[in-house]
Amino acid sequence: MTTQQTDEPILRVRNLGTGYGDLRVVWDVSFDVWPGRLTVLLGRNGAGKTTTLRAVSGLNKATAGSVELGGRDITKAAAHTRVRQGMAYVQEGKRVFHAQTVEQNLLLGGYTRRLKRTELRQEAERMYELFPVLGDKRSLLAGTMSGGQQQMLAIAQAMMAGPRLLMLDEPSGGLAPVIVNEVMERVGLLKETGIGILLVEQAVEASIAVADHVTVLDMGRVVLASAADDLDNLQDAYFGRTPAQGSASRDS
Amino acid sequence: MVLWRTVRAVPGWILALALGLVLLVLPWAGLDFSASRQIQLTLILALVVSGLNLSLGYAGELALGQAAMYASGAYIAGLLSKAGHTDILVQLLVAGLGALAVGVVTGIPGLRLGSWSLAMTSFFLVLLVPDVLAIFPRATGGRNGLSGIQSPTLFGTLLDGTGFYLVISVVAILWFAVLRNIVTSRHGIALRVLKQSPVLAASTGISVFRMKLLAYALGAIPAGLAGALFANLDLYVSPEAFSFTFATTVLSASILGGSASVYGALVGAAVMQFGPNQSSGFQQYALVFTGVFLVVGGVLLTGGLARVCRVLVTRLDRMAQPEVNTVATGTGPAPNIPPYKGATLRIRDVSKAFGGNQALKDVSLEALPGTVTALIGPNGSGKTTLLNMVCGFYRTDSGEITLDGAPLHGLTSDGVARAGVARTFQTPNIPAGVTVLEAVASGRYTGHRTSVLAAVLRTPRFRRVRHEDLREAERMLALVGLDHLRDTEAVSLPLGMRRLLEVARALIDAPGVLLLDEAASGLDEHEVERLASLIRQIRDAGGTVVLVEHNFRLVLALADDIAVLAHGQLITTGPPEAIERDPRVLSEYLGVDPAPTAAHTSTDRMTGAATSGENT
Amino acid sequence: MTLIWGGLALGAVYALVAVCYNIVFISSKTFNFAQAQLIMVGAFVAYTGLVTWKLSVPLVMLLAVASVMALAAIEERLAVRPVKDPHNILVTTLGVSILLNGATQLVWGTQPLNVPFFGGNDVLELFGGQIYPVEIALVLVAVVLVWALTRLSRRFLVGLALLGMSEDREAAMLRGVNVRRLAFGAFAFSGAVAGLLGMFVGPKTFAVATLGASLALKGFVVLAIGGFGSMPGTLVGGLVVGLAEALAARYLGGEYANITVFVILITILLVRPAGLFVRVRERTV
Repeated sequence: MTTQQTDEPILRVRNLGTGYGDLRVVWDVSFDVWPGRLTVLLGRNGAGKTTTLRAVSGLNKATAGSVELGGRDITKAAAHTRVRQGMAYVQEGKRVFHAQTVEQNLLLGGYTRRLKRTELRQEAERMYELFPVLGDKRSLLAGTMSGGQQQMLAIAQAMMAGPRLLMLDEPSGGLAPVIVNEVMERVGLLKETGIGILLVEQAVEASIAVADHVTVLDMGRVVLASAADDLDNLQDAYFGRTPAQGSASRDS
Repeated sequence: MVLWRTVRAVPGWILALALGLVLLVLPWAGLDFSASRQIQLTLILALVVSGLNLSLGYAGELALGQAAMYASGAYIAGLLSKAGHTDILVQLLVAGLGALAVGVVTGIPGLRLGSWSLAMTSFFLVLLVPDVLAIFPRATGGRNGLSGIQSPTLFGTLLDGTGFYLVISVVAILWFAVLRNIVTSRHGIALRVLKQSPVLAASTGISVFRMKLLAYALGAIPAGLAGALFANLDLYVSPEAFSFTFATTVLSASILGGSASVYGALVGAAVMQFGPNQSSGFQQYALVFTGVFLVVGGVLLTGGLARVCRVLVTRLDRMAQPEVNTVATGTGPAPNIPPYKGATLRIRDVSKAFGGNQALKDVSLEALPGTVTALIGPNGSGKTTLLNMVCGFYRTDSGEITLDGAPLHGLTSDGVARAGVARTFQTPNIPAGVTVLEAVASGRYTGHRTSVLAAVLRTPRFRRVRHEDLREAERMLALVGLDHLRDTEAVSLPLGMRRLLEVARALIDAPGVLLLDEAASGLDEHEVERLASLIRQIRDAGGTVVLVEHNFRLVLALADDIAVLAHGQLITTGPPEAIERDPRVLSEYLGVDPAPTAAHTSTDRMTGAATSGENT
Repeated sequence: MTLIWGGLALGAVYALVAVCYNIVFISSKTFNFAQAQLIMVGAFVAYTGLVTWKLSVPLVMLLAVASVMALAAIEERLAVRPVKDPHNILVTTLGVSILLNGATQLVWGTQPLNVPFFGGNDVLELFGGQIYPVEIALVLVAVVLVWALTRLSRRFLVGLALLGMSEDREAAMLRGVNVRRLAFGAFAFSGAVAGLLGMFVGPKTFAVATLGASLALKGFVVLAIGGFGSMPGTLVGGLVVGLAEALAARYLGGEYANITVFVILITILLVRPAGLFVRVRERTV
């Protein structure tokens, strides 16, 4: 996988702590995302992955630690201003706007860019090239599409903002295995455009296949951080004990 | 501070009673006519407001039709009086019952709607009052109002000004005593449970609709009484007294005084009566003043003046007794759970689809008494759907769910709870404004019944049930190690303790089956340990426990049987040792096959896919 | 036929109130109880501009729009945004409505004022019924406004953002939408529309300080019948309420007008609890 590698991470998360009210879910999480590379956050459910993304995106307040985007401290910035600064977040559950057409969803994705209408449409055309399934359905209501198509739309909508960092929360959730592969394939392609990608997944194998860096969370803490091609202790990290037989996965 | 402690040692109702006595002797303390009239109007308003508080503050329903019930009470009394029945007691009785009937009849369609629609239909009801009156002009005087009402009598004696003042005061005192008895009883707590969440109410066996109707209909009674009193105060009733403006005054008084309080109605009514209504000499300024008043009051007061007082009292309490301990868990050894017989929960071939999405397919599961059954699976695998179907929140498409052979599918959610299914929630669901002890005791509400009337009269049966409620709740608190916090406000507890409190509430009535939904999430290790030993105790006592859990370690350590769901289907069930080694479970959780050869081929396939992706 | 025209025009007035409610509801899921009073203020401003100051129609229109929009903006800042408990928003906006009632009485007195309609006051014959120009205008304004709002909200990004925000507030934030500012904008915009409507509603109903209360409630009824948040629903709801009221008043007697509307409302809500144009979503725990 050829990627343009720079040493400066686009996203730098340090000692992040967050939660919901007095329920603290994330205790001390640090990781980086580099331009043109993909970092995947793994962990069983309840490990704090989604909550971490929510804090990075500004939906949840960080109670400790810091978040830097492109060298700029954004720990206290409002969620909508982070979008303007180049952060795009695709939430879990394919949250596109069901009552709007595919095209309208895409145009709304470019809300922060202050483009002329024709320029915005050109951007949308680019997305149709990247995600051909959407091109045929541009005037359909998003709510009538299949799960996989909605997921593609959600990603395309986020890309319309022209982000430097794309965060994806379980793009494979609730999708058939074949579709998961297709979605992951697209995610791999997006990496080639030079943006940094932060992926949260439960489909471990499919996501490791496209990842450059792996961070595993458990109980709101980082239990494993390594390059994607050096993963001996994955099952250990998952279950917190010696695996019953052999090691979990050996990436090629 | 010593003074404060002495004051606090006096039960609250004595202070209220003292206020009532002062009210009764005021006429002999040189009360002039206009002040006396203001007090009487305040009391009448307070009665109506307290009716609204029952539905708005306690049951959480924005039902604003009290002005219509007030009107019916007034007209009933007026017509009775014109027909020669001038005895105030007869009038109060008939007016109260008449208003109750109006409340029940209008409540049934309104309460089915809920929220904004209910607010509007009930407000609309108020707007209809003049029209309804105009339809019967001969009886009611139509828009001109009902005149010719006779002076009220009591046991044949004509009541003078002071006499009527006393009647109003006594009625108000009695009603507030009744209200206090209801609100502080288990019924009051059940109402708060309902307000917190209908789902929670149903899960403790409370019929949501009947409880709402109870609150709304009960709230009609004081409005009817107030109407009867009002008719006899001026001996004239006109539709204008029951206008939209009156309804808004009632709402404002309720919110300013604090809807979820007994005496807040009195305070709110006094504020509205002596505040904006006083300046009626300058009609236009009065409106401006009322408006500003509502805006400022609404912005500044969340929970009304009653809440401000409560916060103040709590703060003074804390200053007076700094040694109150709210940190450590557990005092002394936890008592044992006496043996009880859990029930067998049997789920057979259950399927459920939402639209085209098959959420569950042919799932079968059995949970036996004296065992812990765990249900695990990745997000979206159908765990929550299954739980909701057992609890009656979703209907099954096919298959059956039984508890000791009796079918649960087809029952309403509150029916399922009454059949013996108790549960906890992913996010602890605990009503506001009740103590830890009361919150736990609320788990017994439907299992051990007493009527509202029994609560009002404090009958021996009511006292016995209440005594048992409290004794059992204390026992449960000791069991979960929260006994030292019994009088703390339940919602103020930290998360771990709220979870334990939920377990205590679910356990208090020895349920046939106990469903724990992610009970360990968000707990620290010490708390998880406490929870685990509690679950073991329940199992050893003979209870049936079903765990829906993410914490794999806890599940392996606790469960006798583990069922694994994936994509809506049961992929395997078995004891922890088998599940731990089951390749399908590992692959569902990790997406990898633990057998090295298989891992290789599948990784190759994946990498291949990614590479081909790059080439397109 | 005259009866039908009257009912339609009345229904249009209610529908217009409902449209204003909807603008706020879509953006922030709350109701501005003072919405009808804002229209009433618009009618009074129109009276002052047209009759007292004898200004030209466009100037008065501008004046009405600007002043009521400013009022709405102030209301949002002082009486809506600082409120934490949603129940209390009911009280504070109710407070604003009472305040506006009182203030208008102070400024304009309690007598109904006849606001002249700029399109003329001569009765016209239409399909065998008599109708005032302002009544035609009201029906047209209601239809055009609903059509325009529905079209424009899909045409402009701000409109899409508003619709998106009403569907999923969080998802809209993640597309870079400043939801608080947009909610404020929608509130002010609903004020601007209310100001404009005062020019049309005033000639039909007179400018009078008691106008607000009945408009407020009927607007709500229209909204409940059509479904909260549905723009086409306001037209259908207005049609139903306006005609029911006119017909009941004519054939059953004036005192039956409200009762008939009430019965219709309850019946519709019992059959479709979320109104005619909104579907109830499957319940989740």
